[in-house]
Amino acid sequence: MPKDVLLRMVDITKTFPGVKALDHVSLEVKAGTVHALMGENGAGKSTLMKCLFGIYNKDEGHIYLEGKEVNFKSSKEALDNGVAMVHQELNQALKRSVMDNIWLGRYPKTLGVAVNEKKMYKDTKAVFDELGIDVDPKRIMSTMPVSQRQMVEIAKAVSYNSKVIVFDEPTSSLTEEEVEHLFQIINMLRDRGVGIIYISHKMAEIKRISDEITVMRDGTWVATRPAAELEMAEIIKLMVGRELTNQFPPKTNKPGDVYLKVEGITGMYNQLKDVSFVARRGEILGLAGLDSSGRTETLESIFGVRTRKEGTITLDGKLCKNRNAGESIKNGFALLTEERRATGIFGVLNIRDNTVISSLKRHKRLGLYLSSKSQKKDTQYYIDALRTKTPTQETKIRSLSGGNQQKVIIARWLLTEPEVLLLDEPTRGIDVGAKYEIYQLILDLALSGKTVIMVSSEMPELLGVCDRIVVMSGGRVAGEVDTAHTSQEEIMTLAAKYV
Amino acid sequence: MKKIIALLLALVMVLAFAACAPADNDETAAPDGSQGAEGTQGNSDLKVSVFWYDESDVYLSSVRSELNEQLDALGIAYDDQYAGKDQARQLDQVRSAITGGSNLLVVNVVTSGSTDVAEQILEAAGDIPVVFFNRSIGNDGQDVTVLNEHANSCFIGTDAPEAGHLQGQMIGEYLVDHYDEVDMNGDGVITYAMFKGEEGNAEAIYRTQYAVEDADKVLTEAGKKPLQYFDPNNTDKYQVDQGGAWSAAAAKEYMDTNFVTYNEASGNMIELVICNNDGMAEGAIASLQGQGYNTGDAHVVPVFGVDATENAIALIADGAMTGTVKQDAEGMAKAIAGTIGALAEGKTPVDALAAQDDPRFSIATDCASKLYVAYAPYTGE
Amino acid sequence: MGNPVANLRRRADEFKTLGPKDKRRRVVDGILNNALYILMLIFIIYTATQNENFLTIDSFATLLIQVAAYLPMALGIGGCIVLTGTDLSAGRIQGLTAAVAAVFLQKTGYANRMFESMPDATIGWIFVTIMVALLIGAIVGLVNGFFVAKFSLHPFIVTLSTQLITYGIILWFFALNGNNGQPISGLSDAYKSFVGGTMFKLGKTNIPWYVLYAVILTVIMWFVWNKTTFGKNMFAVGSNAEAAKVSGVNVFLTTMLVHTLAGALYGYSGFIEGVRSGSVAAGTGLNAECDAIAACVIGGVSFVGGTGKISGIILGVVILRIIFIALTMLGVSSSSLYIIKGAIILCACALDMRKYMVKK
Repeated sequence: MPKDVLLRMVDITKTFPGVKALDHVSLEVKAGTVHALMGENGAGKSTLMKCLFGIYNKDEGHIYLEGKEVNFKSSKEALDNGVAMVHQELNQALKRSVMDNIWLGRYPKTLGVAVNEKKMYKDTKAVFDELGIDVDPKRIMSTMPVSQRQMVEIAKAVSYNSKVIVFDEPTSSLTEEEVEHLFQIINMLRDRGVGIIYISHKMAEIKRISDEITVMRDGTWVATRPAAELEMAEIIKLMVGRELTNQFPPKTNKPGDVYLKVEGITGMYNQLKDVSFVARRGEILGLAGLDSSGRTETLESIFGVRTRKEGTITLDGKLCKNRNAGESIKNGFALLTEERRATGIFGVLNIRDNTVISSLKRHKRLGLYLSSKSQKKDTQYYIDALRTKTPTQETKIRSLSGGNQQKVIIARWLLTEPEVLLLDEPTRGIDVGAKYEIYQLILDLALSGKTVIMVSSEMPELLGVCDRIVVMSGGRVAGEVDTAHTSQEEIMTLAAKYV
Repeated sequence: MKKIIALLLALVMVLAFAACAPADNDETAAPDGSQGAEGTQGNSDLKVSVFWYDESDVYLSSVRSELNEQLDALGIAYDDQYAGKDQARQLDQVRSAITGGSNLLVVNVVTSGSTDVAEQILEAAGDIPVVFFNRSIGNDGQDVTVLNEHANSCFIGTDAPEAGHLQGQMIGEYLVDHYDEVDMNGDGVITYAMFKGEEGNAEAIYRTQYAVEDADKVLTEAGKKPLQYFDPNNTDKYQVDQGGAWSAAAAKEYMDTNFVTYNEASGNMIELVICNNDGMAEGAIASLQGQGYNTGDAHVVPVFGVDATENAIALIADGAMTGTVKQDAEGMAKAIAGTIGALAEGKTPVDALAAQDDPRFSIATDCASKLYVAYAPYTGE
Repeated sequence: MGNPVANLRRRADEFKTLGPKDKRRRVVDGILNNALYILMLIFIIYTATQNENFLTIDSFATLLIQVAAYLPMALGIGGCIVLTGTDLSAGRIQGLTAAVAAVFLQKTGYANRMFESMPDATIGWIFVTIMVALLIGAIVGLVNGFFVAKFSLHPFIVTLSTQLITYGIILWFFALNGNNGQPISGLSDAYKSFVGGTMFKLGKTNIPWYVLYAVILTVIMWFVWNKTTFGKNMFAVGSNAEAAKVSGVNVFLTTMLVHTLAGALYGYSGFIEGVRSGSVAAGTGLNAECDAIAACVIGGVSFVGGTGKISGIILGVVILRIIFIALTMLGVSSSSLYIIKGAIILCACALDMRKYMVKK
């Protein structure tokens, strides 16, 4: 029996400066079904959803809800029209109570003025009972674990009588039990005729929950098929869409002697527990694991921007204290951070200032002033060496594409002449073409005898670039694998060890 | 390290509060304890609260130190509170003082020229006597209505327009005597600049108006032409301190700028400078001196102010400034202290004012509960 | 900006390749981005037609003198704004240091001299006074910087507090030694001529020495902002403090130093303030920071952080002083003066933010 089409997105196109993020993508969601949206990082899933919710203005294309064309200006407007989203990163008023969050922006009123707390409580309770959620509506959000806050978000969507609900990576921070509960709720919503868009990387989940699957790649629509017809291997092939061998430059580096020793790192204010590993000269070591497994924390602890409770770092037999970034730089470490925008670039400053900030010592003359000439020279050297695409050195960095921004930051670190490079998601948000160049750069660094430790959420990337991979789970080292003799399954198993 | 800093901060905070508390007690306790005991014991349960509109006012600072001295001598317990030019804060201070047992309020209101403030204070005070002073509590006779309605209130101050009248009189007389000397371009008309201290302040408004009007009166009676504002485009006929601070810097900057267009070479030099207070006069003089006037043997452009601050007196002695109007701080303090004393003996405010005997004091003609302390012209003679 | 001619040519070529719609947008953008300067130009031309004295050497000299007086404080506050902060204590610091400098350098034998024991105003003593003024300013600045950096307090809160504290100290200072809150005057001739004495004549106007000092300070500040590690670090911290930390910049030290340097500059402005107006009262410096902040913002030192140039600050101060001089010369009433000044600050900020808004 053919089901009614609830939501239809046709030929959606969105261009950012230098990148075509979406190229005529279409999507159909039927009532009472779960529609999985799949694709690699950067395939355009989030961008497509942002166009739906009016966070981005689409350049071209149409969106129809129950046959009527809609063009939401904001998430709020979408919500009012029955299209809701449960975000990967929850945007909630954490200092407020559960029911405040649910009824925010449409508080029930007494006499049109005073907020009717009683009704709010009663209505919240009703929705919770319906969904089988056991949370006190008066509880303050920040006192609850992420999983429960997510439930609140779902309840909010339900309270709006949403016809379409988007789940963006809903299980990434949930335990197995909580995932079960979530699936129960999703199934219940489906039975009520709600159309559900489910975004996830996890194949097993997708196979279990979804009715239809749409695959995207590099901003284009690839295929839409019934879930029952698709095997896992085929999904991967559709997602990747190319031979993996071409994706990475040939590995020519030869790891040497043990150079860096990390022993027993335990975090002061984070989940890290007794993290130990070694890295060799000229080696690329990968750090794998799920989100919040402690990969980023490990790099930042080594670099001294997170406080360690215990643990030692030894470089070439010499103990490194690395109490802050300045000290770590002196000891030959460099850290490329995960959140490029938040902790990497100086948006309003130009390429040159962004390049030289960590190596100003090199330009000091007479112990007093900084030579502009030598700053220009260094900057130009790395613009040429890394083939950074920029009109001038004076261009503000925020007007460059992600890949070129990343190159500028890599140049910043190379100018400090580091021995150990800690790279956190070095290719996040970067075009596929530019990724290859970054991989080449990482290999070149290893070839020149540097030690590279890289964190990535993209398994193929780790397998394609690294020599060894340390797998983390729940803040601990779950195991170590040799890239030549391992598989994604082995790594995934290790990653789930302490969850 | 962090804990030590936190501890230190907490300590500083405790000290800050502790420092506040005894500050009030000292002043009230001292007279009670030492000399107050054997002094006038009739005053032992009198608790006076004095409310000042701002602590940085030059003239009022003089009044305050005089008043404190005289109250100490009388053995009267008192405390000083400052509103920092914030009327709302002052009202809060008044209410807390009443709650705290003050039984005589001496108030220098922040918002002068509006009777609402006085009404609110009187309402809060109930039967407690209230002595307003210095800053007018209402314009155009409205203050009289308020004072008459509340038998427990009185006002001690200067007649706001008087300073302007005196200044104008002084300017007129000076010009009649020195007309040709002041008239630099010899066109028979004297051009002047006027610097106003603050927009919307009753005293500033009166001073700005009467200084010129009265000077003109004297001049026309002597057969001279009236004063002429130097800038024909400026219909306000004054330049005002935009910060409302009556500041020397503002007058100086205006003068500097005026000189570009109006100077001796162009034959349209400003020939007379009138200022609302001595601070602005000092600024104007600094500017004139920068142009080579009012210093040494050079031509002196007459500059007039109000207040007779110590600096103005020094400038007049040097010949750089011509005249000012003396606000009698000592007289004002004496009037207030005397009235407090009389009130403490159980007199009504009207009787208390009437009991003040000094040639400088006069009861207002339109109201028995209003006492004026006279201004006096000061030209250094 | 590299080679300006080549840059211009490149932009001209780029412009030619645009379609008519884009061309129009580019022109409108260009006008809006420079709207402030265009408005100023129109304003200057208008004033000049109304008062022929506006475009004269003496008018220029007056402008120069006023800019020299207002610039130091703006240069100090500029640094705080680059760090996305502000400084509300600037005016009071100026008032305090002005009072201290005046007391240090009162005329010997002056009737109301606060401290009879102060030595004569020799050139050596004047230098001691400058140092004391700078030091006092720097100390208050250091306190500002410490609380901002150590506790991540917003500078608004911190400097509001120090503003009050400094005012308290000023009031206490003015009550010292039987002064009873009287203004401090009777400045010694050596002090007056050191600061306000005639350096040379421009037209008929005497240019005082403090114009030279302002030039020297501006050069030093330009150097500090553009040519030192501290300057680079300041912009980095202002642009993205987290990224600066990871890049090895000592954010704590940089923040402290920016505020301390600003404090020292206020201290200097206090040193010249007394001579400028002939005396120092407890209210001296009140709200002076408002003009300084406005000048910075008009000159493109953005509250967004990490952007700003010394030349911009100079321009901002110049624009504000031109407005003051022009409106005074036009004989505009005081009410219009407030309105025009407010409108210009608002427009300048709006036009500035327009450049930072992300277009979707």
